[in-house]
Amino acid sequence: MRRDALTGLALIALGIGVVIESWRMPRFEHLGINPYTVPGIVPGILGAVLALFGTVMLSRTAVAWRRGNEVPPVAGEDEPGSTPRLLLTLILTVGYGGFLVGALPFWLATFLFVLAFLLVFEWRPEFRRAGRRAALVTYASTSLLQAVLVAAAVTFVFQRVFLVTLP
Amino acid sequence: MLDGLGYFATAIVELFSPGTLFNVGWATLLGISVGMLPGLTATLGLALLTTLTFQLAAGDAVMILICMYVGAIYGGSRSAILLNIPGTPANAATALDGFQLARTGRAGEAMGIATSGSFFGTVVGMLALAIFAPLLAETALGFQSYEFFWLAVFGVVISGRLTGQGDPLKGWIAGFLGLLVAMVGQEGVHAYARFAYGNTDLAGGFGLLPVLVGVFGFTEVLWVMKNPTYQAVKDAAGSVIPRVRDVLKHWVTIIRSGLIGTFMGLVPGVGEDMGSWVSYAVARNTSRNKDEYGKGSVEGLMSAETGNSAAVPGAIIPVLTLAIPGSAPAAVLLAALFIHGVRPGPLIMIESPAFIFEVTAMIFYASAAILLFGLLLTKPMLLVLRVSHVKLMPIIFVLCTVGAFAIASRLFDVWVMLGFGVLGLGLRLLGFPMAPLVLGVVLGPILDVNLRRGLVLSDGSLAPFFTRPISLILWVVILITFLLGSEWFLKSVKSWGARIRSQGG
Repeated sequence: MRRDALTGLALIALGIGVVIESWRMPRFEHLGINPYTVPGIVPGILGAVLALFGTVMLSRTAVAWRRGNEVPPVAGEDEPGSTPRLLLTLILTVGYGGFLVGALPFWLATFLFVLAFLLVFEWRPEFRRAGRRAALVTYASTSLLQAVLVAAAVTFVFQRVFLVTLP
Repeated sequence: MLDGLGYFATAIVELFSPGTLFNVGWATLLGISVGMLPGLTATLGLALLTTLTFQLAAGDAVMILICMYVGAIYGGSRSAILLNIPGTPANAATALDGFQLARTGRAGEAMGIATSGSFFGTVVGMLALAIFAPLLAETALGFQSYEFFWLAVFGVVISGRLTGQGDPLKGWIAGFLGLLVAMVGQEGVHAYARFAYGNTDLAGGFGLLPVLVGVFGFTEVLWVMKNPTYQAVKDAAGSVIPRVRDVLKHWVTIIRSGLIGTFMGLVPGVGEDMGSWVSYAVARNTSRNKDEYGKGSVEGLMSAETGNSAAVPGAIIPVLTLAIPGSAPAAVLLAALFIHGVRPGPLIMIESPAFIFEVTAMIFYASAAILLFGLLLTKPMLLVLRVSHVKLMPIIFVLCTVGAFAIASRLFDVWVMLGFGVLGLGLRLLGFPMAPLVLGVVLGPILDVNLRRGLVLSDGSLAPFFTRPISLILWVVILITFLLGSEWFLKSVKSWGARIRSQGG
């Protein structure tokens, strides 16, 4: 509910921002172009439509509030799940895609990413307990093996078979 | 009209070669695997394969993509039947009866029915493609900017209405956000770089494929890791070879669902999901055994799988003849055609008349492959469902990164993928559907150029946008869609109705 209201407000802000920016786009009057082809016309209309949708969303929420009845949550809202896992995934993926790739050779970056990902998410607290060495060794060695295989296979297949330029 | 079938047969013979069979084999298997894995959709599979095959010859690449498309929509039926989780959104109706059959120990039979349904659905859609695409292309020669403008709006509005999960407004917002995303970068009339602020990367615009890989790939990785689900798959019991009697008994359902599916695919923005749902609904309403639906009806399963598979060739019809996608995966296919220098659109029958039939022949090979793999490789393919998500996700993400980078070799595209992945997650958490966003990104440039060109042609008059016959039909349908999707209109209609009834009675 509150999310919908905030989304509505954000859309209105975005829509108005887009309309203003579209208005400020050049109209090439000195070139004598047809006024119906100016670059700002379509984004301007789209901005206005989005602002209108935002208004509808906001007013819909407001009406529901005034009546005191909650709109039933739609699918996707309040999904269960773990925020720490999400944040960890974000750190690893953005770290790899945004920073490691391009800075290190591709195979090395990919190896490090896959290894880190598996070590983080395949970790089980019981590995720490005494007598779990075998499990710990399996965990570390399979992660290492998959990281090596993925890095080698992706680099080879795309560079040699599909002739794709790698980062 | 029947000439088409002759050209189609010629194309099948011409395409036949060991190389073709090899590509058909691996691409279809990969497509089935992608479809089987919940979360990996046909759209993502197509987007990744487009970027990874763009160095190949156009014919090979298009063949691979079509096999991926047909394979993924079919593969989704496996997880729908065995896990009650539709592998792709198009297989949701399949789960209703498929899973019930599997629960009663008839999983093998259900998979056989789904396989034959998918095969026959693809065949019906394929014949429709060979027969009607040339006719549509000819009709579309009369289309001008006004019609193309409305077709672009139509695609976004219909897709938003149908995928909005009970809230069309969110679907429309997603669609218009997609159109807005397409506005960034150089526009097609004066080459002015919109919203670029002097940045050369932004002036190039957001590439469709990095955006898609972000929204469908990276978002999915984040989503799966946020909600870890582990499933154990039981072995499928029973023979998967469908009984000829079952197929013969349901021939009316097959043909009807095939035609409905093809039509749903053909309408811009509707796609495989609706092909399946509408076929299922019609089959139930006309069935003598309505009570069995949802409790393990063979007929229901057959109609759902025939409907979604028929929608695949259906969705390719407007891609080839209008350059307007029928569904989200078809939007990626359209982008891939442009990348490979094929120019789809009304002129296709004049510029490269053989191409429509080549594509039809490719669909033929893909449908033969799903039939073969579906019936012969049941047990090995179940292994796909045993793969742990945690092991799979880093590989998917590496492929997303390579895919985003591959087309233009710029690191900016990797950032675009990351940015749209996070945006996609946010939108998904807020309950926005992704398909209209994708259609918006593809249809944005079409809407932009045709609105302005139309205004120039009419010298600023809006009249042709509303009075030309096809335009008239399109905007009326768009208006009705908007009205039927808005609460105040439905409420007012109900209160009018009540008032009229109370006055009358």
